[in-house]
Amino acid sequence: MKKIIISSVAMALLVFSGCADKEPVVDERVQQEVVAQEVESVRTEVVSGEDSSIGENSMYGSDSSEMNMANLEKELSTVYFDFDKFNIRSDMQDKVTNNSTVAKGTASSYTIKLEGNCDEWGSDEYNFALGLKRASSVKKALVSEGVSETRITMVSYGESNPVCTEKTRECWAQNRRVDFKLLP
Amino acid sequence: MRILLIFLFVFGISHASDATIEVIKKVESLPSIAVEDSSISYDNTFKESFFKTIVADLNVLSLFNVDRHHRKTHFNDASVMVENKDADYVLRYKMYQDDSGALNVDLKLIHKEKNVLIKQYKISKKNVFMFVAHTIAYDINEYMQAPPVEWMKRRVIFSRTVAPQKTEIVISDYTLAYQHTVIKGGFNIFPKWANKNQDAFYYTSLDAKKPTLKHVNIRTGQSKSIISSDGMMVCSDVSKDSKRLLLTMAPDGQPDVYIYDVASAKSKKLTNYAGIDVNGQFLNDDTIVFVSGRLGYPNIFSKKIEGNSVEQMVYYGKSNSACSAHGDYIVYKSRESSNAFSANTFNLHLISTKTDFIRRLTATGINEFPKFSVDGDAVLFIKNYKSQSSIGIIRLHHNKNYLFPLKHGRLQAMDW
Repeated sequence: MKKIIISSVAMALLVFSGCADKEPVVDERVQQEVVAQEVESVRTEVVSGEDSSIGENSMYGSDSSEMNMANLEKELSTVYFDFDKFNIRSDMQDKVTNNSTVAKGTASSYTIKLEGNCDEWGSDEYNFALGLKRASSVKKALVSEGVSETRITMVSYGESNPVCTEKTRECWAQNRRVDFKLLP
Repeated sequence: MRILLIFLFVFGISHASDATIEVIKKVESLPSIAVEDSSISYDNTFKESFFKTIVADLNVLSLFNVDRHHRKTHFNDASVMVENKDADYVLRYKMYQDDSGALNVDLKLIHKEKNVLIKQYKISKKNVFMFVAHTIAYDINEYMQAPPVEWMKRRVIFSRTVAPQKTEIVISDYTLAYQHTVIKGGFNIFPKWANKNQDAFYYTSLDAKKPTLKHVNIRTGQSKSIISSDGMMVCSDVSKDSKRLLLTMAPDGQPDVYIYDVASAKSKKLTNYAGIDVNGQFLNDDTIVFVSGRLGYPNIFSKKIEGNSVEQMVYYGKSNSACSAHGDYIVYKSRESSNAFSANTFNLHLISTKTDFIRRLTATGINEFPKFSVDGDAVLFIKNYKSQSSIGIIRLHHNKNYLFPLKHGRLQAMDW
């Protein structure tokens, strides 16, 4: 009987140890040689015939207004963020204050568009949301500095709008940012 | 004692069909198949392409040991080629062009010197030959009485980034060998099939002042705006009956999961956490799973559509930022190393809502965009490894992964 118990315990251990192994070796078969070869390019058509550029610019004002806007945009500096974070770093606080001064002063007649961006680590929805939360943090900071909430719009571009495409830490740091744009 | 043995036996039986448990099949035990080419039209390059596609599809079926030698013979020869005498199955096909320029394929499957399957295929343009190959593989799978591989004939829709703020939306076959760009120019992301028939799709346009969800009917080419939101707009999932959508919207800069009724055009907020809630997926008619940052890092949670309580679904992985659900199963993307930029960065895992098992589905590289096939039989994903991007297919019940390299561009999102 004792033997049977021992052997059944051993069997149970075998069974359960098999179940607890959560990192099984996975058979990664790269079927390189069986890949279909490239075919001639396929004729394409554009389904969405809509105007893809933002048309507002041409509707409003003259060239001088656009130039004025472009110059003012240069005065608004980009705010950078840490990896996986959306709180405003202490070294970025001055930039936000400076930007809100411009927003309340010379740029007071424009709408401010905050564009949240991320590094290339993941292009899923969570990354887009992270970009948006960054824009949202900047919006809250601007509002607390006295910029009217109704003048601010936000958008997240996720990782789809990089300013730097190299695979380095410095480069990724440059992409984790909120850009300021002006809309008439 | 007997009870323990009975328990072990029952335990073994009850878990036999669980996809989270790894199935290890000996390669030797699979029947062998050889392919014989009897084509009369077309040049060697095209013949080679078609042969390679057929062999790749037969491999993905995971039912055979596939002989990769490209051998040529006459279609009407009574016996198989000498080299293939020992093969359990021989697939012989003949491609020829008819007067209208269409690609025709005659096919027979030979088993024990008998023609067990005879079929004919026809397609008007030869550049979509891969769909014929996929259909042939589908039919052979059906003949072998294996679980259906409906997904093999389906199309994939994906967006790729071509330049900052410039994307394309492309429709392809499941190996991405065939690609057809449907939307060019502009900044359009997160495409999603609108129904089972794949004759319409949703996508997000970022070109307007506010992110806008659009609907495109492929047959008519008609495009219409559905709904807009400040900050963010993504169609994360479409219900089986295509009547309800799970959207991520952020009207006040706060990303949350919403349910949208297509007929009434009304949306309802489903999550309320002050941080990030995104990527809603229908688990069944009344439950969703979604990705939330409510623990301080992204993880997978579930909740009833009508109800407030939220349940954590995953207890493994430091950062689980994307998921796909089918029946009782959830596949999710997880960052396992604490070093954010180490080589082994993202892997896919499979869990069942009914058991505590976790099965790791990938081993190396950055693996993302997990997406269940319509029948839950396979998972499609993107692998980035050593500067090579590939699309991967995981056959869950065969424990096999297959990779097809991507030619160019970086994928933004995809749907199957």
